[in-house]
Amino acid sequence: MPSANSELFRLPEAAVGILLILPAILLLLSLTLYPVLYGVWISFFNKHSFFPQQTFIGFDNYISLLRDPEFWASVWRGTVYALSTIALQIILGVAAALLLNEVFPGRNILRGIVIFPYVVPTVVAVIIWKWLLNSQFGLVNYLIEKAGLVDQPISFMGKDWIMVSLIIVSVWQFFPFVVIGVLARLQTIPDELYDAAKVDGGNAWQRFVYVTLPQLKSVLFVIVLLRSIWMFTKFDTPWLMIQGGGAETYIRTLPIYTYMRTFAYYEAGLGSAMAVVMFLALAGAAVLYFRIWRREENL
Amino acid sequence: MHMSRMVALATALTVGIAAPALAQDKLVRVWHTETEPQTIKAFNDLARRFEAKNPGIKIEAEGLAWTDLEGKIMASLAAGSPPELSHGQPITCTALQSKDLLNPLDEVVKAIGEDNIWEQVKRVCNVGGKQFGLVHAAGTSLLIYRKDMADKAGLKPPKTWNDFLANAKALTQSTKGDGKIDIYGITLPGDNLFINILMGELIKSNGGALFDKNNKPLFTDQKMIEVLEFWRELVKYAPPGWEGDGYLQTFQNLYGQKAAMMFQGYGRGAGLIEKFAPKEKANDKTFDVWSKPVGPSGKEPGVQVDEEPWMLFKDAKHQKEAIEFLKFFYQDDNYLEYVSTVPIHLFPITKSLRASPKYQNLEMIQRWKGWIEVQQGYLDKDQGKPTLVVDWSDMTEKPYLLEVLGSGIVRDMVMDVVLEKWEPKRAADKAQRRLEDLLRSKGYLKG
Repeated sequence: MPSANSELFRLPEAAVGILLILPAILLLLSLTLYPVLYGVWISFFNKHSFFPQQTFIGFDNYISLLRDPEFWASVWRGTVYALSTIALQIILGVAAALLLNEVFPGRNILRGIVIFPYVVPTVVAVIIWKWLLNSQFGLVNYLIEKAGLVDQPISFMGKDWIMVSLIIVSVWQFFPFVVIGVLARLQTIPDELYDAAKVDGGNAWQRFVYVTLPQLKSVLFVIVLLRSIWMFTKFDTPWLMIQGGGAETYIRTLPIYTYMRTFAYYEAGLGSAMAVVMFLALAGAAVLYFRIWRREENL
Repeated sequence: MHMSRMVALATALTVGIAAPALAQDKLVRVWHTETEPQTIKAFNDLARRFEAKNPGIKIEAEGLAWTDLEGKIMASLAAGSPPELSHGQPITCTALQSKDLLNPLDEVVKAIGEDNIWEQVKRVCNVGGKQFGLVHAAGTSLLIYRKDMADKAGLKPPKTWNDFLANAKALTQSTKGDGKIDIYGITLPGDNLFINILMGELIKSNGGALFDKNNKPLFTDQKMIEVLEFWRELVKYAPPGWEGDGYLQTFQNLYGQKAAMMFQGYGRGAGLIEKFAPKEKANDKTFDVWSKPVGPSGKEPGVQVDEEPWMLFKDAKHQKEAIEFLKFFYQDDNYLEYVSTVPIHLFPITKSLRASPKYQNLEMIQRWKGWIEVQQGYLDKDQGKPTLVVDWSDMTEKPYLLEVLGSGIVRDMVMDVVLEKWEPKRAADKAQRRLEDLLRSKGYLKG
């Protein structure tokens, strides 16, 4: 029989629930919200990255970065990199998923192999590709020279090719993500839709355009959104591409420049301002993307 | 069992198990930049011997890549847990000393014997007569060239930059006779660190400076313009896409028969040549060194000395033990074991070891004597300085050189000229503005 005291301290069920999830909420907030808010806070300071030196300067960091030509150049490079890799990942990913959705011997093994680039650690992937693309000993140069496509080896890490090399490596690395999403959706499209299209005289291309693509729309929406966020903020692949030599200037995307400002110039305030701008730009793009999507859906 | 007894028992067990472990070892963490396997092994062997002689002290050594080092040091300082000892660029050492983060290593200097240390080395990170950084080993940059090819072409050692360009042109060849160039006159690195190193060297060789006494950048000075003009000419004889080459790739170009000269070579290259060049060419008859040439406004060559100092961090826990370890490290036999892993690059800082027959008779020293003599000449004539240090006073008066290096502004300027085909004056103007902004934001430049 409960005592009078325990009756007195009995909490409402909802309050107990809140109390139980409170530690998890606090943990999540301290690990996510606090760093973000702290980042926004220090973007208003002239702050050394490691030493306790800081002066409040209001919006000066934002003004100076908007006037910085290197900032705009890095935004441009980042946009070129992100848009081209996203487009190529989608094209290659959808094509591979369509192929892997067909029935043929060895399909399951091939499905496993296609996922391989996505599970290889980035550092390993970049080292392998840098070795393959080496201008002196690389397999790629050997093959294209042997095939008579070029007279001289191509310097894939030089000014003219480094962005292309980066895009190739990134597409190779991340297209399996598209394959997984699209293949999963393809397997749930009812055969009856294709049968009906066939009865109506639709050829393979028409079946793809009028049956498959509309069915893939929702999954492609999510994939494009996620891949856009990840490719615009991609740091490790371009960073590793320029380690130990490389025309860094030509693939200095916004995340790389943000890192440099923070950890090479030791300007944590300015680096944070750049990160805030990047966050706002992405959030804005995401909102716009959702609106356009909703309008399309209504149509 | 009652709850309070259980807690007491658990606490006693935890303390009982942990206490002896905690009391057992004083951990001395050491970060260094020698990543060649034989050097890591020698260093670890040395650490184990020290531990055997000094029970209760444990040495935890970690070899770090250059690109990771400065960031890791800074992060550890910010976190309040730096290692006891670390290598660093000389300019890192002075930057940290200026913020009062280092303790002097005078006790180690005393143990070695002040007169036993080369003068050049004592100038590195020496502030107010105190040695805040003590170089682990020193090696100068070298102009390495293909002697066999130069002899065949009748080339003479270049005295001036123009001589050097003429040699580079002559050594850019189509060896198969099909008109396709398959060996280039020069191999150059395109990464930020080495472009900064080369800039420091060239401006010294041209009698110029990077900053004046008031910290104003001197990038629009005529001497800098001449450096950029020289760079623009130089890359004409470099393999296409040279800007994508890092330090090791430039060695690859040299021993892989793709380039005939290497302006930013180092003694470490001798080992790489012995390991990777065709057997009949892996010697100093094929790969020799010239003294570096002088710019149109300069009087004597300038080279970079690769001489990372040991730094002892003020916030580290086991200062005394770290000092004892360094004393042990520099003892002749131990030190010999370390430097002999890359003997043409890791010049000992002690006169006693450098003069000792044990060192002199190392097989590799015998095989690459010419390379050693050229380095010795640079050091004796005080023509070698650390990265971006043009005058020794820069060491103490310009604690911002680390930020200049990290910013990549020098590299961008060079790339604007050699790749974007900007006029040197325009690129220099842009770099000048960027540097002034940088130094102003950090309070080093007024107005």
